[in-house]
Amino acid sequence: MTSDNESQDSVVLERTLDAPAELVWSMWTEPEHFSAWYGPQGADVTVKRMDVRVGGPRLVGMTMEGPNGTMSMWFAGEHREVVPSERLAYTESMSDEDGNVKDASETPDGHPGTTTVVVELRATDGGTTMTMTHQGVPADSPGAAGWNMAFDKLEPYLADQQG
Amino acid sequence: MPTATTTAAIEDDRLDATFAALANSTRRAMLARLADGPANVTDIAEPFDLSLPAVSKHLKVLEHAGLIVRGQQAQFRPCALDAAPLEEVSTWAEQYRPIWEARFDRMEGYLHQLQQQHKAGTNDDQ
Repeated sequence: MTSDNESQDSVVLERTLDAPAELVWSMWTEPEHFSAWYGPQGADVTVKRMDVRVGGPRLVGMTMEGPNGTMSMWFAGEHREVVPSERLAYTESMSDEDGNVKDASETPDGHPGTTTVVVELRATDGGTTMTMTHQGVPADSPGAAGWNMAFDKLEPYLADQQG
Repeated sequence: MPTATTTAAIEDDRLDATFAALANSTRRAMLARLADGPANVTDIAEPFDLSLPAVSKHLKVLEHAGLIVRGQQAQFRPCALDAAPLEEVSTWAEQYRPIWEARFDRMEGYLHQLQQQHKAGTNDDQ
């Protein structure tokens, strides 16, 4: 399986699902369905906004019980492309529970401020092929520690190895 | 390009080992040190307030993940960085891949469950 998009800034996944495209579409566009699969095991997914039209907002929260109490994360975004049962694109940024987007210093190291999720559905024999592309532009977060610090230092080394 | 399922599964295991090895700031600092060049255990241990056995433990995890290679001279066993696994996980996007895989596994299960319920419901009506 090859992809046109060899960009380092995106991840592309393809699955063939044993369900009609209309039902797969509802997995992404109906709060009841979306919250059933989106969160990790043990997380409660709350869909506050899911206005599925171009320019319409999304606001999704995930709540988990951790050793230090309850932890919540919120993601706000906007629908960019809406072609029912065929194509959905929306943006996503870390936010607070009211949908106010956090600035780069508050997001995890190396994570882009805003990413875009594109879902394409194609009916196949008795099922649906779903292609999901999650793309973003890496954030230049000065003073980033952890992952980034190690990787920044490794970059020249990697360049040497490939050169 | 690997396409077989088994190859994919092995790659997944290897990615798991890489992520696990990187999920520790001491080990990341050790890798950053080794980016400057090979070093022996004593050199690597120097900036840390850790016993040599503790340092050895971290190095073993890195070795298991294929992130470092170690020489055979028993006493010093110099360590060198092997950056190949890092290239795969160094982008934020690759860090998201296992998250999406798990989500789609759950979606598959949920779709199956919904369609079973729907079938059962249809049968009840008849």
